[in-house]
Amino acid sequence: MSSKQLPQRSSRRFALGGEFYVPAALAIITVVYLISAIQLGPPMKDGNMTASFFPMATAIVMLIALICAMVHALRGRAKAAAEETIANAEGDDEIPSGKQYAGLSLGAIGVILLTAGYLLAFDLIGYFVSTFVYVLLLCCLFGGGFRQKWLSRLIAAVVITIAGYLLFEVVFQVRLPTLWSQ
Amino acid sequence: MDSITGLLGGFAALANPETLLYMVGGFLIGTFFGAVPGLTSVLAIALLLPLTYSLDVTTALVACASIFMAGMCSGSITATTINIPGAPSSMMTALEGYPMQQRGEGAKALGHAALGSMIGGSLGALLLMVMAPLAADVALLIRTPGKFSLIAFALIVIIISQRGSITKGMIATLFGVMIATIGIDVVQPLARFTFGTSVLVQGIDMMPLIIGTFAISELLVQADSRSSRTVDPSKIQAAKVRRRDFIPPLSEVREIGVMRYLKSTVIGYAVGILPGAGGSMAAFVSYAESMRSSKHPERYGKGNPEGIAAAECANNSMCGGAFVPMLTFGIPGDPTTAIVLGVLVINGLQPGPQFMTQQLGLIAPMFASLFVSALILIPLTLYLLGPYFLRIVSIRRDVLYSSIAIVALVGSYVATYSTFQMALALVFGVLAYFLRKQKYPTVCLLLGFVLGPSLEEYCRRSLSINDGNPLIFLTSPDSLFFIALTMVFFYFMVIRKPKNNGLGAPPA
Repeated sequence: MSSKQLPQRSSRRFALGGEFYVPAALAIITVVYLISAIQLGPPMKDGNMTASFFPMATAIVMLIALICAMVHALRGRAKAAAEETIANAEGDDEIPSGKQYAGLSLGAIGVILLTAGYLLAFDLIGYFVSTFVYVLLLCCLFGGGFRQKWLSRLIAAVVITIAGYLLFEVVFQVRLPTLWSQ
Repeated sequence: MDSITGLLGGFAALANPETLLYMVGGFLIGTFFGAVPGLTSVLAIALLLPLTYSLDVTTALVACASIFMAGMCSGSITATTINIPGAPSSMMTALEGYPMQQRGEGAKALGHAALGSMIGGSLGALLLMVMAPLAADVALLIRTPGKFSLIAFALIVIIISQRGSITKGMIATLFGVMIATIGIDVVQPLARFTFGTSVLVQGIDMMPLIIGTFAISELLVQADSRSSRTVDPSKIQAAKVRRRDFIPPLSEVREIGVMRYLKSTVIGYAVGILPGAGGSMAAFVSYAESMRSSKHPERYGKGNPEGIAAAECANNSMCGGAFVPMLTFGIPGDPTTAIVLGVLVINGLQPGPQFMTQQLGLIAPMFASLFVSALILIPLTLYLLGPYFLRIVSIRRDVLYSSIAIVALVGSYVATYSTFQMALALVFGVLAYFLRKQKYPTVCLLLGFVLGPSLEEYCRRSLSINDGNPLIFLTSPDSLFFIALTMVFFYFMVIRKPKNNGLGAPPA
C-alpha cells in the first residue's frame, strides 16, 4: 500500500461516525414517513389542505435539514481525517476510550437489555419479582459488579421494590400486576 | 378585583395541609435533583408527571412550581462548593462562587446566591401574577392566522436559540412534529401513520416521550460512568460549609445595589417569556449585563458577589416569565412548562386566553407556590440543610439510578395500565440517547411534539378560511406582526450575532 493512499482510506474510515449515522437513520425514518404521507392522498383538495399536506411538508424540510447535517458530518470528518493524517500518519487516536457497539456503550446496552427484559417480565410475573430482579441487576450495573457490597445491594433492591409498591399502589392507588393476579 | 381575590385564594389554598406537604416535598425533591450533578429539575417534574393521574390538578401544579423554583437555585450549591454546577442554569454562579469558596467564603457565596434567588424568584412570581392577565387580554386579540404565526415564531426562536447547532435544533424540532402527527388527524377523523397497528390510532402520549427523553436517556448516559457516587466524597471533606456564614453582609448587599437586583429580575423574566431560552440563557444575559454595567468589571471571574446575585436573580425570575406564554397562549417555551402543560392536558384543561379568568382558582395556588417557594423555602432550606447538602447529594449511583428507573418505568405504566407505554418510553429513551450523544437538543424534540399539532391545526384552519390562499398570513395584522417579529429575531440571533464579551457563547 502506497503512502498516498493512506489519507483517503483514513478519511473514509472517519466518515462513518455517529455524526453521520444519526441523521442517516433519521433520514430512513423520514423517507418511510414521507411515503406513508403520500399514501394518505393528495396534499390539496378543492383548494384546501388535506391530512397529508402538513406531514409531507414537514418530511421534505426534514430531509433537506438531514442532508445538510450529513454533508456537514462528511465534510467535517474528512477534514478532521486529513488533518489527523498529516499530523500523525501512524496515529490511531480514533479508538474510543470505552468499547462501543453500534454507537452504544456496554453500560447503555446493559440498561436497554435489562429494561426490555423487565417490560416482558412485568406483565408475566408481576411487579414484585420482576422489579426486585431488575433493581438488583441495575444496582450491579451502576455499581460495577455484584461481588462488591452484594448484601447492601440486595437490601437496596428489596427497599426500592417495597418503596415503589408503597408509592404507586398505596399512595397513588395504581393497581400493579402481581404474580398471583396473573 | 375578582382576579386579586382569586390570586389571594391561591395563597389560602396553600394552607391546606396536603397541598402544603406537596409544595414542601416538591421543593425538597427539586432541590435534590437540582443540586445533584447530572440530574435536573426537568427530570424531577418528568418523574412526577405520571403521578398527576392520581393527584388533584392543583396539588400537582403546586408541586411542579416548587420543583421548578428549587431546581433553579439549588444548582448553585455544588457550583459554588465543588465547581460542578448541579444544573446548567448555575454555570455563571460557578464562575464567581467557586473562587469565593477557594478564598474560604463559600458559605457567603451561597448566601448571596440564596438572596438573589429569593429576590428574583419572588419578584418574578409577582410579575407573573400581574402580567399574565394582561397577556391573556392581548392573546384574545389574536385570530387563527396570528396563532399559526405565533407558534411558528416560537418554534423558529427555539431552533435559532440553539447556537452552533441550528440544523440539529431544526431536525430535533421537526422530528418532534413528525411524532406528533401519528394518530388521528387534527381536523378530520382520519388515522395517520399507524402502520396497521391499532395501538397507534390514539397517537403518541406525551408521557412516554417525556419519560424516555429525560429519564431513560439519562440512565443510558449515566451507565457509561464508572464512579460509585454522584459526588466524590473526598471533595465533600475539602468543602465544609457552616450555617452561621450563610447570611451575606449588608455592606456587600448594598454594594450590589437594589437596581442590580431589579434589573436582573426583569432580564430573567423577559428571557423566560422567550421560547427556548431557559434559565441558563437568563443567567448568562444577566451576568453579562451586570459585568458590562459594573463599576469593577475586573473583579468578575475572581469571586464577585455581584455576578452571583445577577445570575441567580435572573434564573429564578425566569420561572415566572416562562409560565406567561404557556398559560395565556398555550405555548410552552421550555421543557418544564411543556410538562406542566402536560399536567393540565392530562386533567382535561387547555390553556389559552380565557384560561386565566376561567380557571384562576386552579392555577392561583401554583402562582402562590412559586412565590412562597422563592420567598420562604429557598432561604429556609439553605439555612436548615445547607451544611448537610453536600453529604445529601453524594449518594450511591446504583441506588439513585435504580430508583429513578422504577419511578420512570412504572410511572409510564400508570397512564393506560399497559406495558406498551413502558416500551414506548424505552424506545424514546434510546432515541434520545443517540440524539444527546450527537448533541441534538432533545428540548427541541419535546417542544416540536407539543406545538406541532397546534401549528398544523391553525395552518389548515387559516387556509380554509381564505380558500387555500396563503396570503392570509400577510394580510392578517396579528399574523404579520409575528412574521415581522420572527424576522427581527432571526436578524439579531442568526445574521447579526451578539458581540463577544469575553464570556464565550451563551448557553443553548
